[in-house]
Amino acid sequence: MKAVSTVLLLSLVWLGASCAKKTQPAAAVDPNVTTRGSIEVTARLEEIRGDLIDDPMYDYAHVMKYKVLQVHRGKVDKDVIYVGHYNPAEPRGSVADARVQEIGGNVKQFRVGDVHRMAMEVPIDDHYMGGVINKYFGEVNDPVYWAVWTDRAEK
Amino acid sequence: MTPRRAIWALAVGAVLAGAGLGAQDDRVTQLAREVAGRGWIVYAARGDNGTWDLFLMRPDGSERRNITNTPDFEEGGARFSPDGTQLLYRRFAKGTVISHDLWGFQGNLMIAGPDGANPVQIGGDREFPWASWSPDGKQIACLTQKGIQIVDLQTKTVVRELPRKGIYQQLFWSPDGQWFCGVANARIMWTVVRMNAQTGELNIVQEFQSCTPDWFPDSRHIIFPSRPAGQDGYGYTQLWMSGGDGQGARMIYGEDGYHIYGGALSPDGKYVLFTRCAKDGGGSEDSGAPICVMRMENAPAIAGASEALRKVHPDAKEAITLQLVEGWEPCWTYAEIGVGK
Repeated sequence: MKAVSTVLLLSLVWLGASCAKKTQPAAAVDPNVTTRGSIEVTARLEEIRGDLIDDPMYDYAHVMKYKVLQVHRGKVDKDVIYVGHYNPAEPRGSVADARVQEIGGNVKQFRVGDVHRMAMEVPIDDHYMGGVINKYFGEVNDPVYWAVWTDRAEK
Repeated sequence: MTPRRAIWALAVGAVLAGAGLGAQDDRVTQLAREVAGRGWIVYAARGDNGTWDLFLMRPDGSERRNITNTPDFEEGGARFSPDGTQLLYRRFAKGTVISHDLWGFQGNLMIAGPDGANPVQIGGDREFPWASWSPDGKQIACLTQKGIQIVDLQTKTVVRELPRKGIYQQLFWSPDGQWFCGVANARIMWTVVRMNAQTGELNIVQEFQSCTPDWFPDSRHIIFPSRPAGQDGYGYTQLWMSGGDGQGARMIYGEDGYHIYGGALSPDGKYVLFTRCAKDGGGSEDSGAPICVMRMENAPAIAGASEALRKVHPDAKEAITLQLVEGWEPCWTYAEIGVGK
């Protein structure tokens, strides 16, 4: 009888924990990503062409290909967009510097397949003055977005 | 030659002779004598107070003097106006690390007499970025996020604006006013480009790891540092030139083990100034690098052992260079400034 009670109790505890998990509010979204820039999307990183250079002497933005999963703010016309990330070898939390001060996020490393929630501007030239590695040059004529804030998001 | 300059020439010769460099030394001493009376070089260097100040010197290194001497500020990026009667430069807050790529965006624009007298701040912090002289010295061209702006210096108003078309740093107006050069994202980043100052039409001058361009006095050629592909490892930055249309690119000076920056011509185009720095970037973050003078007729030239570089440029001559003091971003005028009189 005692064994049955224990099992019943554990089951109730498990059920309670399970229900609690389901009813827990979703993780709060970083206000930086919901307020910065004029465009906000959740998108999957589809491709990084070329190597990400880690050279402390020179700053640059690297254009990466994303599949848009959801548009939260602003207007995005296409499912596939091209986004320039500043000094992408650096974690977003410490990437801001003298050249680009208003930038950040919690992404530590860019990996194909990861999903990011990003605050962005477009076109990149209106918001960033510096070197750009764009391996899609001459192949894709779409405007390049400028990543202002880049957070991890659920896949 | 003034007695002071003669003493300086003798001193240069004595130092070189002491180093046992023989015929090479004679040619360097001759070069020093040749350029000694040809105007003035302005450059930035660390002053006795530890901050970056502006200095003038004769092109042989004599008659050197600090013309700003401001312990509470850093100064750099000095450029004589085309007629040599004015000097523009940037003044930074004390302790500012002068970025070799960003310095044109940093600090305040200043305009003074060619000897640094009567400095006047133009605008506020970070305004008038990458200011460079118009041919008549009455306007400046600036490179901003919005575009290339032509500013009238008397009224401080923008009188004309062009799209910057990917140019992101180091904008310079040609002596004839017809062109701009700069560093841009064209097909790839770190591309030296030329822009028609009237139409905004852009052409590529040199692609791949090229930057810090400046004009030859003829407004038809551009001088720029470039770190070509195909070198072992990181490689070294050499000094190059090209026609503004991108034709005829060729090396001026190279030396394995050193990065060559600060390329600038004498007003008649006969001599070239540059800095040679063991570290990439030109040394603005530290204390600069030795300023060197070379005859353009000596180009293409290679210094030191430079075995790898000599294989790429087997016809290059042995460099005859006059090495002066440490500095950054030198600029040459033939105007007689009157300093030291």
